[in-house]
Amino acid sequence: MENFLKKFLKTPWIVIAVTIIISGLFFMQMRQNLRMETDLDKYMPQNHPAFVYSDKAEEWFGINDGIIVAIENKNGVFNTATLDTLKQLTKRLQKMEEIEKADVTSLYTADNIIGTEDGMDVKAFYKRVPKSKQKLLQLKTNVENNEMIFGRLVSSDETVTIIIAEIRDDVFTQEFYKKILEVTASYQTDDIKIHVAGRPIVEGTMALLGPADMQKMVPIVLIVILLVLLFMLRSVKSTLLTISVVFFSTIWAFGLMAAVNIPIYAVSTMIPIMLIAIGVADGIHMYSHLQLFLKENHEATKKEAVVDMIQHMWKPVVMTSVTTAVGFISLLTSQVYPIKYFGVFTAFGVLMAMVFSLVLIPAGIMIFGLPKVKKSNKRETDKNLGLANNFSKQILKHKSVSIFATIAIVVLSIIGMQKIWINSSFLDKFEKDSEIVLTDKFINNHFGGTTTLNLILDSEGKNDVFKEPQVLMLVDKMQTQVENNLQIVGNSFSLTDYLKRMNKVMNADKQEFNTIPDSKNLVAQYLLLYEMSGDPENLNKVVDYNYDKLNVTFQLKSDNSKAINSTIEIIDSYKKDFEKQEITINYAGSGYKGLVFTDLILEGQVMSLILSLIIVIVLLSLMFKNFKVGLIGAVPITITALISFGVMGFSNIPLNSTTALLSSIAIGIGIDYAVHFIEQYRINASISDDKLLVAKLTMAHSGRAISFNAVVVIAGFMVLIFSVFPPNRQLGALVSLNMFTSFIGTVTIMMVLLYASNLYFKKKEK
Amino acid sequence: MKILKSILIVSLIIAGFSASAQLTGKQIVERAYSRPTGDDQTSNLTMILTNKSGSQRVRKIKQFKKDFGKVEKKIMFFLSPADVKNTSFMNWTYDSDKSDDQWIYLPALKKTKRISSDSKSDYFMGSDFTYDDLGDRKLEDDSHKLLREEKVNDKECYVVESVSKDADYMYSKTITWIRKDNFIGVKKEFYDEDEELFKILTIIKVEKISDFLIISNSEMKNIQKNHKTSMVLSNIQINSGVSASKFTERIMMRGL
Repeated sequence: MENFLKKFLKTPWIVIAVTIIISGLFFMQMRQNLRMETDLDKYMPQNHPAFVYSDKAEEWFGINDGIIVAIENKNGVFNTATLDTLKQLTKRLQKMEEIEKADVTSLYTADNIIGTEDGMDVKAFYKRVPKSKQKLLQLKTNVENNEMIFGRLVSSDETVTIIIAEIRDDVFTQEFYKKILEVTASYQTDDIKIHVAGRPIVEGTMALLGPADMQKMVPIVLIVILLVLLFMLRSVKSTLLTISVVFFSTIWAFGLMAAVNIPIYAVSTMIPIMLIAIGVADGIHMYSHLQLFLKENHEATKKEAVVDMIQHMWKPVVMTSVTTAVGFISLLTSQVYPIKYFGVFTAFGVLMAMVFSLVLIPAGIMIFGLPKVKKSNKRETDKNLGLANNFSKQILKHKSVSIFATIAIVVLSIIGMQKIWINSSFLDKFEKDSEIVLTDKFINNHFGGTTTLNLILDSEGKNDVFKEPQVLMLVDKMQTQVENNLQIVGNSFSLTDYLKRMNKVMNADKQEFNTIPDSKNLVAQYLLLYEMSGDPENLNKVVDYNYDKLNVTFQLKSDNSKAINSTIEIIDSYKKDFEKQEITINYAGSGYKGLVFTDLILEGQVMSLILSLIIVIVLLSLMFKNFKVGLIGAVPITITALISFGVMGFSNIPLNSTTALLSSIAIGIGIDYAVHFIEQYRINASISDDKLLVAKLTMAHSGRAISFNAVVVIAGFMVLIFSVFPPNRQLGALVSLNMFTSFIGTVTIMMVLLYASNLYFKKKEK
Repeated sequence: MKILKSILIVSLIIAGFSASAQLTGKQIVERAYSRPTGDDQTSNLTMILTNKSGSQRVRKIKQFKKDFGKVEKKIMFFLSPADVKNTSFMNWTYDSDKSDDQWIYLPALKKTKRISSDSKSDYFMGSDFTYDDLGDRKLEDDSHKLLREEKVNDKECYVVESVSKDADYMYSKTITWIRKDNFIGVKKEFYDEDEELFKILTIIKVEKISDFLIISNSEMKNIQKNHKTSMVLSNIQINSGVSASKFTERIMMRGL
């Protein structure tokens, strides 16, 4: 291996030229083929049973997410101007290409079913905008008396009315969102305010905002890292070469992605972050070694220096990169494709970073010369050495401090981990005072809720089950219980609401008839009556054609997992009752899919975390030919992962698709520190018999490089704390934390364990 | 030359004749609308609704219809499915602008109720036919234009475009293929408010009963929703003397 690498030293120009040419080719691929995937449905595993059922149910009942346009008039909505705006805006939305005409619902399109002395009347609330006081008052009374409309399309304080425009999953684009905002804004007046909300808006904005923010922040991160590297390495050449490793490996990773035609998913934007954090490490360690070598051998030629560097460093560089790559490849166990891709391409990037570190950095040194080592550094070197000596002495003197501190931290972290909660919410990812969150809150305050959960009751092919009064009464009871017990559930809607309304209307509008009729024939006859007088399309949204499946919609005021789970919990308590009627409980809709999706991601994360920990222990044991080393080497990463989760628990940061991936970084980076440190310790132990001296030397060499590495990456990631997108902020803070704990864990507890284990000294003692 | 000249004159005369004999769009539609179908009619109606996934709802109805001049009265009794058996429905359509009177009797409720609806655009019993589609549309509601003449299934047809005079009407226009020989429709296309093809009506079978031509099998297909309705008439009797007293609430409740 050494000889193989040395061969490249003869042809440094060719190495650089080849690298640049291949990078150029990859770059062309990126420009031609790389595209962003914003459709969240494409992220989900299509063959998972929950998704398969949900997709089918969405097809049966036409379940789509709706854009909610709220028209607010503080003076009340029952006046000519507001009603005219409602009519015009409804018609305008119906004409938009992206929206099906029949999928727009508002007071203007709704049917008003009212009871009269001798019968029933189905009418539009209004067609021509009412102008006279009397007609406006009549409309107001009609709305107030119709519980299917009041509180659903018109708020109960009568200051807001909404238009719901359902759209298919794949039509949302930034242009469409802009168009909606422009159209709605054009109807605003001094009195009339218009707000736009709904899941498609939230999803679409998030899918675009996160990566856009990342694109803005990554260059700043790079600049900061560049500056800190420059300060640490004190050489422009070294800094640029180290950064070029990150740069080329990122291009190759994305270039390969483009070449095999895989789009960029939201998680893929984490790849450069990972490569920055991991890629600079090899360079730092190699230069750190080079500098120490040059200090001791002032007369060495650049060839001698580079050969020494390769000789000493190729092993730890290969070991760290391979273990890291294997850690990422373990993400293949995830059921979620974007995460699989993330794992594979990050692993590829890490291995490329290894190749560049071993080939490009030496080639660069051969061409551009050695970094200058100033003589004036001598005093500083002593200071540095003194610091390392002192530090290792103190740590080893007070071993128990490290051990007890570690135990305390582990216990505390485990306590903190209990508080961790999973959140699939999209809204929680936005700033609390952002327009999107405020609008959502506004609509939630006035209406049932912006998040929908669809419960699908399925008799699996038994026709007319949902005409049976006892079944419908059970559904009604469940709806009432969910609505009454949970503040978060604003309202629910199903076939029962139509039947109760019809029963009331057909019995002279008497409130005591606002119940499910008690005969199956009457249910069937009401439904027939509704088909004759109302819009039969409406029924297709709540019950399937053969009355063997029912869709119950719950409106929730929050899209976070706690809200959805608490609703599901109450519904599931009816499972037995429904089973007695041979009816199964299923869920559908985007909110539910998001919940399942997050669970899948986490399940995969936990699996791959455990798997990669085992793989890392095995690999370390093989590399160092000692199982104990494997275990000791795994200590810092285990602690890092524990602390990471513990801190998340205590600081109320929920686990979501972004934060869950951080455990991969903890392993990927933490293991590097451990490998470098152990390898150096082994080499030093072969030179000296003095255990303390070995520890001190290792600290001065590897400990120094590790601290450089930690400082560089922490400084870089701290930049993300100024991001406008909260998940990116959490990412920055947690990566920095992980780097810090990995570093501290390696130089304290791991060193203590290494020292106490007498590894590499046993033979000599004998 | 003489022969040529006389041919020219003859053909000019023929052309002139046909031009003057040419019916306008409105006249064609008028003759189609006013085609005699008898004073009363009794029949069994089987209505099959099919949704996009192929599920079907089959309804069997016994219906009576009688023309009283200024008003046409219709009464229907459900025979199946079982849970709506004996449900009856009565409809009075007026020649004037007066909107229809409608009653429904629900046997499970044992009550007859008036139902009123403000629109002729309502669908008839969840089918793809609106009341208008079933023959309640008035000649003067649209402006008619003869587009062309063409053969459909070997029959010469007029192709007439009818544009609604009311801009808010659910159809922006309809195009009807009407047979030249008997003024029976063969096919009709309905276009929605955005002028996109919305529904297609196909006449599948026409029967001659007591010298009247009666459409006994037709199908309406909603192209946009992929939903269709088939209406088949059997046991058709024309002018069998349906009693005028048949069309009352009392009969609705008593049943067949």
